[in-house]
Parts: sequence; C-alpha cells; structure tokens
Amino acid sequence: MAESIEPQAPAAPEAPMGPYVYDYAAAPFRQVVMPKTVPLPSFRTYTAEVAAAAAADEAKWAKQLADFEVAKTKAEAEGKDAPKPPVRAVPRKDDNDMKTPWPVAATDADLLKLQELLGDSVEEIFEQAGERVCQVKKEAILEALKACREEPSLKYEMLADQSATHYPAAKDFAFSIVYHLTSISRSKRLRLRILVPEGFIPESACDLYPSANWMEREIYDMLGIRFANHPDMTRILCPEDWEGYPLRKEYPTVGWGQRDIDFRDDRGGVLNRLAMEKAGQLGINLKQPKAD
Amino acid sequence: MFKNEEMEINLGPQHPSTHGVLRVKLRLDGETVTKCTPVIGYLHRGVEKICENKTFFQGQVWTDRMDYVASISNNLGWAEGVEKLFGIETPRRARYIRTLLTEQNRLASHLLWLATHALDIGAMTVFLYAFREREYLLDLFEAFCGARLTTTAFRIGGLREDLPPGFIKNSQAFQDRFLACIDEYEELLTENRIWKKRTVGVAKLNAEDCIALGVTGPVLRAAGVPYDIRKAFPSAAYAEMDFEVPTRTEADTYARYLVRLAEMRQSHRIIQQCLDGLPEGPVMAKIPKILKSEVNEVYHPIEAPKGELGYYFVAEKGGTMPYRMHVRAPSFVNLQALPKMTEGRLLADVIAAIGTLDVVLGEIDR
Repeated sequence: MAESIEPQAPAAPEAPMGPYVYDYAAAPFRQVVMPKTVPLPSFRTYTAEVAAAAAADEAKWAKQLADFEVAKTKAEAEGKDAPKPPVRAVPRKDDNDMKTPWPVAATDADLLKLQELLGDSVEEIFEQAGERVCQVKKEAILEALKACREEPSLKYEMLADQSATHYPAAKDFAFSIVYHLTSISRSKRLRLRILVPEGFIPESACDLYPSANWMEREIYDMLGIRFANHPDMTRILCPEDWEGYPLRKEYPTVGWGQRDIDFRDDRGGVLNRLAMEKAGQLGINLKQPKAD
Repeated sequence: MFKNEEMEINLGPQHPSTHGVLRVKLRLDGETVTKCTPVIGYLHRGVEKICENKTFFQGQVWTDRMDYVASISNNLGWAEGVEKLFGIETPRRARYIRTLLTEQNRLASHLLWLATHALDIGAMTVFLYAFREREYLLDLFEAFCGARLTTTAFRIGGLREDLPPGFIKNSQAFQDRFLACIDEYEELLTENRIWKKRTVGVAKLNAEDCIALGVTGPVLRAAGVPYDIRKAFPSAAYAEMDFEVPTRTEADTYARYLVRLAEMRQSHRIIQQCLDGLPEGPVMAKIPKILKSEVNEVYHPIEAPKGELGYYFVAEKGGTMPYRMHVRAPSFVNLQALPKMTEGRLLADVIAAIGTLDVVLGEIDR
C-alpha cells in the first residue's frame, strides 16, 4: 500500500545564504575601530609639528619663569625663603640601538631634477629612511612617470611595485597611491606618490609600464580605486561577485559565518567541560594542582 | 571529418604541474596556444589585512605562509623592513647568521624548483637526488629554530638565539659534499638530449619584455641583465660577501636552468664565507619590548629565490601595528609574463613555462 507523502516546503534559511553575503548587522559586537589620524609621511607636516612643539616648549618655559618671578617677589614681600628656581626639562634620551628616521629635506639630484622638470606639478619632495619620495598632483601622474622613464639622467626603467593606502580620517583625500620605481642601470629607487579623493579615477600606468597591469587590478580589488585606460579593470584575487573592498579601513577582519570560540567568553563553562571530558578520555590531567 | 575551430581548456586549478592552485585558461588551435589567461586568487587569505591587526613582532609569522618553500627569505624581508622603519641597527653577527640561513634557504628553494621542474618535464631521477639534499637543509633549519618550513627564524633587531651547538659543523659537512651534488644534477640534465629538446628555445622572454613586465630574479638574469638586489641594494651582510651574479643571454628555459645552477654554486660560496668569517658578539640589538612607531613609510626589497621581494610599510604615530602592509611578491609579478612566454607555442611548453617561472601560489595569492 503506497503511502502518499506530502511534499514539504523547504525550511526557510535562518541566516542569509550564499558564501559572500556580508551581514554587518549580524555581527554588531565586532565593531571596527576607525583610525583617527592620517599617518601620511611628509617633511612639511613634520617641520610644522616640530616647530609647534618647540614653540609650546618655549611658552611653557616662559610661563615657568614668569611664575617663578611672581612667587619670588611674593616671598620677598612676605619675608619668607625664596622658592627654588625652575629647572628646564631635558628630553629623555633612550638608551637603545634605535635611531628614528625622521624626514629630511631633499638633497638628491634625482628629486631636484624631477622638480625642475615638472614644475608646479610637484607637491612635495623629501627623503626619509634613505628613500626618496616625490609627491605629485594626481592629474600629473602620467607626466611624472613619463619623465622618470624617459629622461636620460633619471632612467627609471622598471615599475617594481604599486600599492595604495586608505586614509579615512583625511579631509581632502581618501587614498594615497605609491609607485616604487627602480633604475636598474643606476641602482636607484624612487617613490612617486599621489593623493586621490573617493571616486577619482587616476590614469593607468599600463602604457608606460606594462607591469602595472596586475598591480592596478589588485589595488582595484583591495581598495576599490578604478584606473582609466586600463586594459582589464576586473578583480584579481577576490571572486568577481565579492562585496566590498577588503583593505579599506571600514572592512572588518571577522564577520558573519566566522566561528568565534573564545574560552574566556565561555560563561556557562560548556566548552571547558567538553575539553575536560575529552582530556579525561585521553588520560590527560588538565586540572591545575591546588595551591596549599 | 575535421572541425576547424578553437578549443578552450582549463589547466588547473587542480593540476600537478601548476605548483599549487593556479588556473590557466588556454585557447588552443590544435596544439598551439593562441591565448593564455592566468586566473589566480584560489589561495587568497588576506595576509595584508591580517598584518594590519598584528603587531610588528606577530606579523612575521604570516610571512612564512607566503612563499612557503623560501620562508627564511620572507622573514628576512619582514625583519629588515621593520628595522628600517624604526631605524634599528642589527649586530654584525646577527647579520652574518641571517645571510647564512637565507642562502641555505635559497639552496633549498632552488633544489625544490629543480626537482619539480624536472619532474614536470619528465626527468624523474633528479627529483630524488634534489630532495635528498633539501632534506639535509631542512634538518639544519629545524636545528636552528624548531621548524622545517614555517620558520619565523628572525626577531626584530636580530635573532632570538645564537646558532645551536653543532650547527656550524653540520653546515660544513653539507658544504663539503654539496658541490659534488650539483655536478650530479648537471650530469643528469645539462647534456641530456631530451632535456635540451624540451628546454632550449622554449618560453623565451627577452630583456626588454622582462623589464617592462617587472620580471626579476633568475628569469631576468637569464635574459642578460645582471640585476641582483644583493649587489644593487645590499642588505644583511651581502655587502661584505664576495660573489658573482651569473647571467646568460639566451633568455630561454635552458638558460634559466643554467643560471639557477650557477646561483646555487654562488650561494655555496656565500655560505662558506659566512661560516669562515662568522664574527663574535651579541645577536640581538638593544630595543624596547614594545615598539611604537613614528609616522613613516618604507619599501624594503630583498633578493628572494624567485626575484624581488618587497615589503611596504606605512606606520602611524605611537602605533604597535603597521597601518598598512603590502607585499610585492616576486611570483605575482613574474606570472604576468606567462601569456607573453606561451602564446603561439605548444601546449606542452606551458608546463615548462610555469616551471621555469618558479611560481609559488601562496605568495601570489597571499
């Protein structure tokens, strides 16, 4: 006797299906801490900071001296002992093998040559940690790359690396894109840098340096910066249907679908008990010896 | 009944001679490749994102997992990059030991390349010979740091420990017999008619194309450009070492094979100099337990067995973790040259081209 089986409707999925669905709301406790500063190395910013710190130090010292004078006259008037004169604080010197590389003014011939060639397009040149940095206007990047490649006294033949950084705390730009150029014939390196706002489409370097092809695709994949006149502006490491750009600062490292076992959060002690049982089966004594 | 149409096939991602999970989309006209498109990303783990959330000390562990056959080179790049960021001066003995281990690792990486490349092309015997020596080197790494592949060999500022007892003696024992081993590989391959037929004139890439596509390492040197970062931008103790940069001008698979074998002999020379001239002294610089950075960005390149390996760091004020970390992986950039090397050639040469580029997918996908 054939028993008719009612076709059952499939159970509605509790969580959104699909491997790439990213549900920020499902993981509200995994808040992303957004950076508050803009760590963009720059000689101009550095000198301004140093000058401001020196001025603040000077003002503090002047105030200490003035306070001392006031206290001294007051003590003299009251006939008490004179107060101790203030001692100027000397910055503490750490005794270790570290020598922080601060940015210094550009003295290298290549940087000066670039400034001469590009004129107003150059925003800043400086050196730091033995590396030469030239920041140019975002519209002039192709011109700068062309000068580096074709000028006989520069001759940077190879684009070794290209990458970008997200600066969500910056006001007038969102990303910095850096080009690391190598001159094989002259054993020299140079970093070109542009600052681009959200939505700006910089020119692709593929025509000048074909090695930029995959590197620009990676920047697009990881940070969402598109490049104009690129032969194939598609994702390279993530799947085509991936949502979001992983190297942006608002993108969390853990999300929906991640297992998150932390024994410190194991309030009910379930995981701990299971671990103890398993250890007992294996003959391992996990219990801590009691302190006398 | 012959049909005259092009066929599209997938080589990989599960294919023994793609050295990992590389997928190559091929358009074939008979046996001739008309279009070649590498597809990558199957092993993407987001190392750059992870390292933004790890301290400068912790991040080095992730570098082992990129080029897992040459992890000590990766460790060297990371350690020296961070040292450049903080301006740390490493003791001379530590730099010598770093050089020694990195060169031994280069030997291990080249041996693995030789073994698998020859196996791909059909020479089985070399695999067994090359793995015999590689095993000895991995034992040395295990004696030094307790791990064979995922070494995390160095610390920021130097080394955690000095060399273990017996390390120099065992290294010397390896040194004494290794040159004869290279002669053995050469006997098996260099004048082998089948080997030459499969490699001479295959997967050519001339110097202009190499430089335009950013290709570095043995592939560039086999095209006649003597560009070696150990010479051009020396770090560790390479400035004090006496070695040559072997080059060839043929720019084919056979020339790359000869260049890599010559490089193994040069590495042997560097190791011998390290062992002979190992200076006395401390192995760790005096640095604080917690490193707090100032605003800075550095790009530090080193010569990994595959080519130029660069670490790009951006650091913020008072940060214990990099604000941004980027790896310029040599295999990633070198693989861009695969279409140029294979289009218009036979399907069987694609296997030789992948082997001769010496790609490691852990590094490409990161």
